[in-house]
Amino acid sequence: MGSEARKRSREKLREQREKEKRAAKRNRTLIVVGAAAAVVLLVVGIGYAVLTSDNSDGYEGPLAAQTLQEDGSVVMAEPDASAPVVEVYADYQCPACRQFEHFGGDVLKEQAAAGTAIVHYRPMSIFAQQPVPISSNSLRAGAAARAAADYGVFVEYNDTLFENQPTEGKDGFTVDELKQWFRDTEPSDEDAQAFDDRVDGEAEIVKEFTEEYLPALTADATEQIGEENIGTMVLSDLISWGASNGHDPAFLEGTYTGEIIDATGKAYTRYSGANEFRATPSVYINGELLDGNTAMSARGLSDAIAEAGDGEVNTEPMDSDGGGDAEENP
Amino acid sequence: MTETHDDTPTSRPTGRWETVQPWLTLACRVGLAAVLITAAVTKFPPALSVQAVEAYDLFPTEVAQFIGHVLPLFELALALLLLVGLATRQVGAVGALLMIVFIAGILSAMARGLNIDCGCFGGGGQVDPGETTYGLSIARDIAFAAMGAFIALWPRSPFALDRALGLFR
Repeated sequence: MGSEARKRSREKLREQREKEKRAAKRNRTLIVVGAAAAVVLLVVGIGYAVLTSDNSDGYEGPLAAQTLQEDGSVVMAEPDASAPVVEVYADYQCPACRQFEHFGGDVLKEQAAAGTAIVHYRPMSIFAQQPVPISSNSLRAGAAARAAADYGVFVEYNDTLFENQPTEGKDGFTVDELKQWFRDTEPSDEDAQAFDDRVDGEAEIVKEFTEEYLPALTADATEQIGEENIGTMVLSDLISWGASNGHDPAFLEGTYTGEIIDATGKAYTRYSGANEFRATPSVYINGELLDGNTAMSARGLSDAIAEAGDGEVNTEPMDSDGGGDAEENP
Repeated sequence: MTETHDDTPTSRPTGRWETVQPWLTLACRVGLAAVLITAAVTKFPPALSVQAVEAYDLFPTEVAQFIGHVLPLFELALALLLLVGLATRQVGAVGALLMIVFIAGILSAMARGLNIDCGCFGGGGQVDPGETTYGLSIARDIAFAAMGAFIALWPRSPFALDRALGLFR
């Protein structure tokens, strides 16, 4: 009887001890997990603050003067500024270009306005040979941006295009959107009408180019000079080949679509060696290619500009007679 | 979880598994931490990792921006915790979960016929059709998830802060 009671009380004591032990362990686990959570919050919080500290969130100041160049590119700079020349090659359908615009666009505007940089926008279409709608989106947007440059609102329009970039492979940059975005810059009725006509015309050209001309040309060229050789050709070379092989590119002449294809071809031969143009976005300071990590962060870009000497713009301004209306008629 | 692998030093049998397991767990901790640090560092700068997130076409722009910034930092924090061995079990489980989320993302990209790079270790964005490596990425993530699961199931290992704090001795 006595041993029964002792056994029971011993059992109880052990249970009690086990319970306390479990509670202590639970507490230790809670403390440890809490500490770990705090570490995560700290690392992520501080890291986030540091990473976003150099995001210039929206330069809202006045823009430096925009000057359309003979080849359809646009220089944004204070008049007579002596500063490093920052060339920006971008395709409106390229997601990385949109990121560049997001992180670096305001730095460029701010520096151009302050006279510490001469910004040379060189829109292009590296996607012109991709399947529709990637190619057609890219070309329509490029041509529309060029048209906006005729009215001195290239930089504003450039921003709008990147903000509204369609997902790759989806239809976007529609004719109606392109027209509306220009109207958002508050042009005169006459200018808006001329812009609309231009965009309509270019859209026709883009359709013909991407859906008829290029597939036929590519098929022929594949047969005659081989897929491998085509892979190494830039589009403008392929078109030249087509010109003497029954694929007349005359319909591109005088169009902004043709101009942007041409500008894209020339970019590939403009630089050599380590500075060779390979992809978009590419950023050059005084002709020197910036590496991707530098170009893609606002701080890297600012530092690179600060370290560079003065440069020369390597294109000539378009004859200025009120914004190029003279060659507006297709 | 169960009591089997926890701090009951007196009653633990000293079999072969009991000697080897802590070192296996340590190897998984270091290995997974190395993977996470590589993944975090190659995602820099954020512009690139934001683009990689956007390529999945799953989130609105602002959310993609946020994920692109925070994900590499989160990976870095997990790696740090694995290395010092704090809250080993929970961190291992979170690591495994993270990998499962990644696998789900890749599967969804595959199912929707996207042609993207997973952006797991930098890179990301569109690639040519036929140049996707979804199978490899998923296999890799399964292996990483397994390491995380191993850590979560057998958190006892040497060189861990948990030990100093009286857990998984």
